Amino acid sequence: MAAYLLQRLILFIPTFIGITLICFLVVRLAPGDPAELMAAGGLKGASGAGISLQKRSVVDQALAEWRALYGLDKPLHVQYLVWLKNLSQVDFGNSFKDRRPVWEKIRERLPVTIKLNFFSILLVYFVAIPLGIYSATHANSFGDRITTFAAFVLFSVPLIWAATMAIVFICGGDFLYLFPPGGLTSIDYGPEWPLWERIKDQTWHLFLPVVLLSYAGFAGLSRYMRSSMLEVLRQDFVQVARAKGLSERVVILKHALRNSLIPQVTILAEILPGLIGGSVIIETVFSIPGLGQLGYEAVLARDYPIVLALLTVSALLTLIGILLSDILLAVVDPRIAFGRRGQ
Amino acid sequence: MRLPAILAAILSLTLFTISGDGYGQPGEKPATGDWLLLHSLSDPEQLNPLTSSDASASEILGFIVETLTVLDPRSLEHKPLIAESRPEISKDKRAYTFKIRRDVRFQDGRPLTGEDVLFSIKAIKCPLVDAPFLRVYYDSIVDAELLDPYTIRFTTKEPYFLNESVLGEISVLPRHHYDPENLLKNVGVRDLLHEPGKLPDNVKRFAENFNENYHRKPLGTGPYKFNGWKTGQEIQLVRDPNYWGTGKAGIDQPHLDRLRFRVVNNPDAALIQLKSGDLDSMDLTPIQAVRGTGSDRFKRQFEKYEYYGPSYTYIGWNNDHPIFRDKRVRQAMTYFTNREQMVKTILFGLGRVVDGPIYFSRPEYDKELYSHPYDPKKALAILGEAGWKDTDGDGVLDKTIDGKKVPLRFEIKVNSGNDVRKSVALVLQNELNKRGVAASVREVDWTIFLDDVKNHKFDAVILGWSMSVSEGDNYQLWHSSQAANKGSNHVSYKNARVDKILEDYRREFDPKKRAEMSKELQRIINEEQPYTFLFSRKAVTAVERRFRGVEVLAVGLRPLEWWVPLSQQKYGAKRTAN
Repeated sequence: MAAYLLQRLILFIPTFIGITLICFLVVRLAPGDPAELMAAGGLKGASGAGISLQKRSVVDQALAEWRALYGLDKPLHVQYLVWLKNLSQVDFGNSFKDRRPVWEKIRERLPVTIKLNFFSILLVYFVAIPLGIYSATHANSFGDRITTFAAFVLFSVPLIWAATMAIVFICGGDFLYLFPPGGLTSIDYGPEWPLWERIKDQTWHLFLPVVLLSYAGFAGLSRYMRSSMLEVLRQDFVQVARAKGLSERVVILKHALRNSLIPQVTILAEILPGLIGGSVIIETVFSIPGLGQLGYEAVLARDYPIVLALLTVSALLTLIGILLSDILLAVVDPRIAFGRRGQ
Repeated sequence: MRLPAILAAILSLTLFTISGDGYGQPGEKPATGDWLLLHSLSDPEQLNPLTSSDASASEILGFIVETLTVLDPRSLEHKPLIAESRPEISKDKRAYTFKIRRDVRFQDGRPLTGEDVLFSIKAIKCPLVDAPFLRVYYDSIVDAELLDPYTIRFTTKEPYFLNESVLGEISVLPRHHYDPENLLKNVGVRDLLHEPGKLPDNVKRFAENFNENYHRKPLGTGPYKFNGWKTGQEIQLVRDPNYWGTGKAGIDQPHLDRLRFRVVNNPDAALIQLKSGDLDSMDLTPIQAVRGTGSDRFKRQFEKYEYYGPSYTYIGWNNDHPIFRDKRVRQAMTYFTNREQMVKTILFGLGRVVDGPIYFSRPEYDKELYSHPYDPKKALAILGEAGWKDTDGDGVLDKTIDGKKVPLRFEIKVNSGNDVRKSVALVLQNELNKRGVAASVREVDWTIFLDDVKNHKFDAVILGWSMSVSEGDNYQLWHSSQAANKGSNHVSYKNARVDKILEDYRREFDPKKRAEMSKELQRIINEEQPYTFLFSRKAVTAVERRFRGVEVLAVGLRPLEWWVPLSQQKYGAKRTAN
């Protein structure tokens, strides 16, 4: 196991460099020029009345100055090597937009995104696993069909539509006011509020985004759970357990459940990178200052350091997630034994 | 406060003064207190008065940092603020001398002197400071020196009519805050005009510190102090109780205790927040202005203010293109464009047709300008005159140019995500296709679009210019030299007479003569139609009714003048205390 781990960790390095190189090329070769965007008055010209005439008086020299300041005048491979070297010192550089260190900008928004995704993952698992178990144990019953149908209906409702409807109808405005229409806290929220009030206020603000972020996950995960459970239930050891006279409850929740969770472990690998920017739409609709929003704006503004940093972090998390799920698989499934294959 | 107000200059706009009770009752005295929750679509990039460049930063910094002179929002003339009076201009029109008030204090209590003004111009001129796009405006300044602790003289390269407003717009920064080590002390403005590489180390250290460390701690002499920034959520300003201008004649007096710029990046969500009381004011999108804000409840709670911003949308024809080289084709295209109808249906009536590049409320605007009506018959006649006929019966007009038969076929480029521009293109395309002109429409991502525009890679393009309420300089747009080097004359318009006018204009100090020159320019451009000028759009802002003193000015709405009667104040002194 240790040898296997070491081998995997060493393989990390070339894989990681390969990924970053591809990311770097994709980001940098996509058309668009951040210097020109700055000079033209940013993206506002795209949606508003026009680009600023004053700004257009900018001469080429100003553009060149700006590019030189950020090292964009150097050849691409040099830029990549410089970037890689900084990365080895855990330095993601500074954002073009405000020159603040990229890491500072990410760190500022990380807690929000993690909170959002953490609760939503929790919710998905808490709903989907029991749902899957129910569907499997009552396979093809009326209840199974209804839950499956409902899960798929939810799955196919576009998030942006659901979120906008929720805002319009239950977040104030002209209809019900059950939840706040955006933001993380109330207007007069402050550190002087009692702890309980602060928790309550934050929960009230997070509730709807978390639910919206989760509903689509119910379908996928509960179907996985249903089919893996069905497969396990057909196996001999389950029959043996039943034959031993164990109650159906113990058979399912103790013997079958553990084995049918094995496929779910692999899904864990996707969850870690999902923590970064899996919530672009929700963060944008509800004005939640998280990483999804940051990444989206950075892509539009061609803020390369931010985009690259987010891609790098999620690449890293994907690698870690895959490794973790492999290890976990070995732990839960004794049939998998790394490093001793073929002996 | 960047150039937005250079921008803001001399002219009187038609003011759309508002019905309703925005002004308050006669005899009502402004009360102090309460908060104003303003909407911001996104965070400003940063709040460094020199290196930030977006509109939302300028708006916020406008409350914190002051300038030597300001544009009076009513007369639209420059009036002194930190300077005692407007500058004294030397006979050769190259030197400007400002006397500085002695009673101005920064928000940290330290007095302002000429040192601070001198420091501010040095910081702008320093080539290592991350403000190349600002520096361009100050290119003409070659020197500055203190004649005494409260008198500063600027020397400029050459006479230029905009120099006074450019100099007056310098944001005066506290030297002790932005350069605590006084690294620029022995550096003159002239010394900064060297190659960046040759600058002494102390200048490099200053620039590094200035670029890196002042994104989020602005300090100035203005009526509001910076009081915190929660990224992606809000920026809060509080009224400075020790503001130097308090009670002084001719200085705007702030009344509201707090200004909170709440970031809501989704306009639909923002409207809901407005209705549920989380915002006091927001700019409505055109669709929001006509739908969803008409209920009695909304009208009881909010007043909607409509006003024009100084900007216009146009179709730019590539004047180098074989088809559009002939001005008759461009004229015909304008006759094909039903601009009145577009204002009605695409803008929901929130706009007006424009016929030239000068803001219609400025005095140099030519009111007699010919407005091309929608007249497809005339357009076809002009095309016929220019030799365009359908000789091969394929339904598309054609003409032999340089010995080759060319069909009247071209592409209109718009940037994706802008529904107004796209609708204009589609309406025009439909019209043209019916008349034997094969026009197609292509949507391109904004950054690529910009690239194509500046590289002249288009047949026709729909774009807008935003201007200032102050007098502008059209040299960038229409001078033939600006067609090269990715200049702003991206339609490659070239006309010797126009070139001459634009050159003389910059050196003319008599506003009346400039107005005459400008009118001639407008007539030539109107005749030649390098652009089909489309329309100017109206902005609509909703403001909670408890605010008084709300007035539509040429510069837009000015929250600095707003106040709330004591009886209607929503956020009391109790909450302000925290």
